[in-house]
Amino acid sequence: MWDNLTINEVVEYAKDPYPSIRKWIKDKGKKVVGSTFADVPEEVIHAFGFLPVTIMGTNKPLKKAPSHLPDNACSLARSNLELVLSYEGDLFDGFVLPQVCDTTQHLSDIWRINFPDKYVESYLAPRQADRPSARYWVKEEIERIISSLSGWSGKKIVEEDLWEAIKIHNENKTLLKEIYEIKKKNPAALTNKELFALMKLSQQVDKAELNQSLKKIKNSLQSGKNNGYTDVILVGITCDPPEIYDLFDEVRLNIVGDTLLVGTRYIQGIVPTNGNPIDALTERHFRRGFFSPIHDNVYKNFEEVKALYKETQARAVIYVHIEFCESQEYDLPDLKRMIKNEGILMHTLDTEYQTLSLSHVRTRLQAFFESLKGGSL
Amino acid sequence: MNLTSKQMSKKITDEYMDDAFHAHEKGKLIGYSTAISPVELFVAHDIIPIYPENHAVANLTAKKGAELCSVVESMGYTNHLCAYARSDLAYRKTGITVTKGIPEPDLFLACNAQCFTLTKWFQVLARKGNLPVFVFDTPEHVMDSNTRKEIVKYCVLQLKELISFLEEVTKRKFDYDRLKEVMKYSAESSILYKKFLDMAQYKPSPISIFDALIGMAIAVYRRGTQECVDYYQTLCDEIQAKVDQGIGVLPKEKEKYRLYWENLPVWFKFSDHAKLLGSYGGVILTSLYVHAWSFEFDLDKDPLVTLAENYVSRFSNSTIEDRADMATELFKKYSMNGMIMFMNRSCKAVSFAVPTLKEILTKRTGIPALVFESDMGDQRFYSETQIRTRIEAYFETLDRLQP
Repeated sequence: MWDNLTINEVVEYAKDPYPSIRKWIKDKGKKVVGSTFADVPEEVIHAFGFLPVTIMGTNKPLKKAPSHLPDNACSLARSNLELVLSYEGDLFDGFVLPQVCDTTQHLSDIWRINFPDKYVESYLAPRQADRPSARYWVKEEIERIISSLSGWSGKKIVEEDLWEAIKIHNENKTLLKEIYEIKKKNPAALTNKELFALMKLSQQVDKAELNQSLKKIKNSLQSGKNNGYTDVILVGITCDPPEIYDLFDEVRLNIVGDTLLVGTRYIQGIVPTNGNPIDALTERHFRRGFFSPIHDNVYKNFEEVKALYKETQARAVIYVHIEFCESQEYDLPDLKRMIKNEGILMHTLDTEYQTLSLSHVRTRLQAFFESLKGGSL
Repeated sequence: MNLTSKQMSKKITDEYMDDAFHAHEKGKLIGYSTAISPVELFVAHDIIPIYPENHAVANLTAKKGAELCSVVESMGYTNHLCAYARSDLAYRKTGITVTKGIPEPDLFLACNAQCFTLTKWFQVLARKGNLPVFVFDTPEHVMDSNTRKEIVKYCVLQLKELISFLEEVTKRKFDYDRLKEVMKYSAESSILYKKFLDMAQYKPSPISIFDALIGMAIAVYRRGTQECVDYYQTLCDEIQAKVDQGIGVLPKEKEKYRLYWENLPVWFKFSDHAKLLGSYGGVILTSLYVHAWSFEFDLDKDPLVTLAENYVSRFSNSTIEDRADMATELFKKYSMNGMIMFMNRSCKAVSFAVPTLKEILTKRTGIPALVFESDMGDQRFYSETQIRTRIEAYFETLDRLQP
């Protein structure tokens, strides 16, 4: 189903992947295990023969979530909750839910209580990452999740199953990296929206199939007229709704680097392929940027952004803030100051899941980039 | 002359703050700590714990919240962050305080059993002086017993790392014998503190949650000391004397509704709420919040193990189901017949559980709940008329349900 997609089809599927997932599981007879952002090793779920699906909100109306979470809760958290309570809950056989912040901790509890007949397991990611105990804990948690999935499914997995899953996931990330590299140098080959649709769909559908499409798409990318583009980097957790990328594309902003979970954070997750697979997955946790800014301090964020800015020679940084994400909000004032002091132009976009109108974003983006010297926009 | 608990509280607090303000002259360091954190290690290592939350509470209770929170918004922070953090960051900028303020920190201990917002807040403070922060990570106290054992192991490993961290910062060797002594005081005072809270089970109740909140302060910042034990012994004796004389917060014939409170208090409405509820015959007896310091340390265990077990299992780090069990126990024990569920914009860590908790508790107890939204410290989010109307309507409902 996902093995022969054109780039236009990828964009369509990424917008709403659930009908295709429904059809696929009906054909394959597989189980679906959902997760939300933050470091759950999806290779483990895949190794059991289940389809791991990262849940990334819905643009359908909020009906039930507001009675569970107040209006100042993280908009992604509310959107994810709505998706499972109102729209797609029946699709999932179970969930492995990461806990990295106060919000995700409560979401896990609420989902468990609301889905008493489904498998619901928590993934207790360490919320400190600088000491040896964090490494100990990641390994413990991966082993516990394997044991828990085994208890639920009655299946046992061996090292080869994990290595096979790792191979498929690594291939997926490698292909995305290669496509990203093409897009950086040749912005006319692929729009921003198309690139990030590939990143999103990769986290929601069967990667063994999608990798086939990625190979074909990569090979079909053509050089175009690359003049008139301005290179920028995108900093944040996620960027939603995807129509924001249309605005970038409209004004010919070329995203040449990012720190998004539906972006570089994901493709950084290539697992080492030596030693034993659980050690390798543990090692990966500490090699890539963490999925939650809860771990980060501003200095780390700043150094990362600065390095990316220099490496890509971008013209500006665009920071995407998801409404009511506390972790971002405690860091943002200092991060802004540091970036400004470095002489880097930075523009902040406030976005919210369920956003319907982007006119304010368009106006602000246009104004910001018209103010960039050179006036290429 | 024997001091009353009130006099003792003032003396202990004054001496503690005086010690803190002169810490460096005495060769001691100031460690900022979250209120729920293994502060016994600080005490044993002669580091003076300071709780920015406590200082924030003083300012918010004195109705400084809106003024301070407005300042912090001009610094680029959003208005829905924790009011403790917002008012503290504004205090750092303006010096506005109703106390003498608090001394500047040398190091930070952030335990996320309470919430993660404190970690981010402490990181902001630490950046200003490039100071060390230790994050004591307590994974949620999930219900599976095997997982709990693993969590405790992880927490013990971290406590060992914390000790190394303290040794490195202070250049002094940690004294485990001293820790055992501190644990003894902590264990004794925790038992007495719980005894004090549990006196709310008498009819009429000799204490309300407002007494509990005032009586909580010493458990927060002086646990691990002999004076903390002495304070709670005196407090228990005083309350017992009230019980013996049948003295309640309300007279026995007027005590109609024995209420549970969910969440932190609305600090700037502290006394107003007590009076308002009292006029309807209502007394708020307790909350999980005040019980957060009812530790049950097992002195026969390795101190690091019993510390880990206790700190990871606080209500704020427990599952919603476990929280519901804890609250249900309190309903039974204190014979409560009403509940007020406060949706606190400032404390997401506690408030996000409230709607689900309310559903479970009303189902289990058959008691209707009053739910209202506001902010624990920022008056701009308090709607006087709306909340008063809700309270009136709630008591009318309870009256109708009376047999």
